[in-house]
Amino acid sequence: MASQTRVALAEQRALAEILFDSIGDGAITTDEYGCITRINPIALNILGFSEEEVIGVWLPKLLSAYDDNGRNIPLIERPITRAFVTRQILSQRVRYKRKNGTLVPVSVTVSPIFVKDQPVGCIQIFRDITKEYEIDKMKSDFISLASHQLRTPLSAIKTYSHMLLDGFMGPLTKAQAKSLRTIVSATGRMNETISTLLNISRIESGSIAVDKKPINAAQLMDEIINEHQLAATDKKIKLITQHPDLQLKVLSDGVILKEILGNLVSNAIKYTNPNGQVCFAVKTKNNRVILSVNDTGMGIPKESRDNVFSKFYRGENVIRKETSGTGLGLYLVKGLVSELGGEVWFDSTEGRGSTFYVSLPLFPQTIRTQTVKK
Amino acid sequence: MADILVVEDDKDLNAAYKVILQSDKHRVKTAFNGQEALELLKGYTPDLILLDLLMPIMGGLELLEKYDLKSHPKVKVLIFTNMENSPEVTKAYNLGATRCIIKSWTAPQNLSKVVNDTLKAKDNSQLSLN
Repeated sequence: MASQTRVALAEQRALAEILFDSIGDGAITTDEYGCITRINPIALNILGFSEEEVIGVWLPKLLSAYDDNGRNIPLIERPITRAFVTRQILSQRVRYKRKNGTLVPVSVTVSPIFVKDQPVGCIQIFRDITKEYEIDKMKSDFISLASHQLRTPLSAIKTYSHMLLDGFMGPLTKAQAKSLRTIVSATGRMNETISTLLNISRIESGSIAVDKKPINAAQLMDEIINEHQLAATDKKIKLITQHPDLQLKVLSDGVILKEILGNLVSNAIKYTNPNGQVCFAVKTKNNRVILSVNDTGMGIPKESRDNVFSKFYRGENVIRKETSGTGLGLYLVKGLVSELGGEVWFDSTEGRGSTFYVSLPLFPQTIRTQTVKK
Repeated sequence: MADILVVEDDKDLNAAYKVILQSDKHRVKTAFNGQEALELLKGYTPDLILLDLLMPIMGGLELLEKYDLKSHPKVKVLIFTNMENSPEVTKAYNLGATRCIIKSWTAPQNLSKVVNDTLKAKDNSQLSLN
């Protein structure tokens, strides 16, 4: 009887090993200390190691992981560590260093294994996503080129329309001037869309240029408010700024930050009913600058909140009210804030309004000044 | 009144910038690529170069590398491009450009203002001037 059980167990184990080796993606199991206990042929093929070289080796030591910017991902941030700490199944895109030193982009999912609530190991499945990266890069390059080529004729349309409006080619009738203003306005909208696509393609291809300098927050906010004043006035929306410290400086890229905040202010005006209010404020907290845009608009329904920063997402209540829009604005905001090393989040009550917050590092000089003042 | 060299390969825009800047009493010369600009710069020193980056034959960055703004400290360079937030713009600043504006966002009245502001600028400034 015992002999039959042993045979049955051996058969089951052999079957489990065959199943593991047959997994169509790279698969590695570790013990509770993160040492490799098993690896399948596809994983060996992707990474370039032999089985003898990896069994028993601590996984983070064998496999260095890098992010898209080439940064060596610290142990605490790696999926294997986070999966054990959080006790959750975690997925992440990383670049593993192969035995020959080259990097391979992979999509990895780590599942911690618990027996009677005690960690006994983990299994990680990963897939070579080189082709997906190449396709993403080609797509981004295409959008970048297409956007630039679209902008060149657009520049000529805008310049000559303005020249006509400004009387460079003689006086215009009222109807002609009105038609030209429509052309200028449509050109502006097309420009915004192209700009959004261009910035998204840069973020996704990792080629956005960030040039951080100290920026006067109050001055930047006033610039943004001035640019949106006309749109607000048209809807009888009151635009308010609150910048208690006129010398407050944020360490950031001025062009990108203006794009982020302009997007938030523009959204606030767009989704606030006439006679409403938009408040653009700045304050400091724990050596961070918190910029916020509060509106008395339609708010974000609870069921939409998880998707607000997703690509192409538009809330149901927004689609009902405003049919135009790409669903790219907040996706872009999130990406740009991340490029600046900041954070973005929001509070919202449906039907009453929303507040979007952007947190960025305070310029060190400002921190010293504040310390002296205390 | 200032001497301005417009370097822009799009002939419609090149002509428009000339008209706009001349209406503001500036003296304007035009070139359609970096090589033509370099030839003109052998014979005179403008107060400001209005420079596109992406041009055939010789682009704006190559012109800046060859012209060497350090040996022409009084010449301001206003980059006029459609490639915002790009590595090319950062490189232009590193080569001594004074300011950068986005072409397709700039109305003629703003062009005159930006040109005049840039002529007064003491150093590089990356304010967005859309």
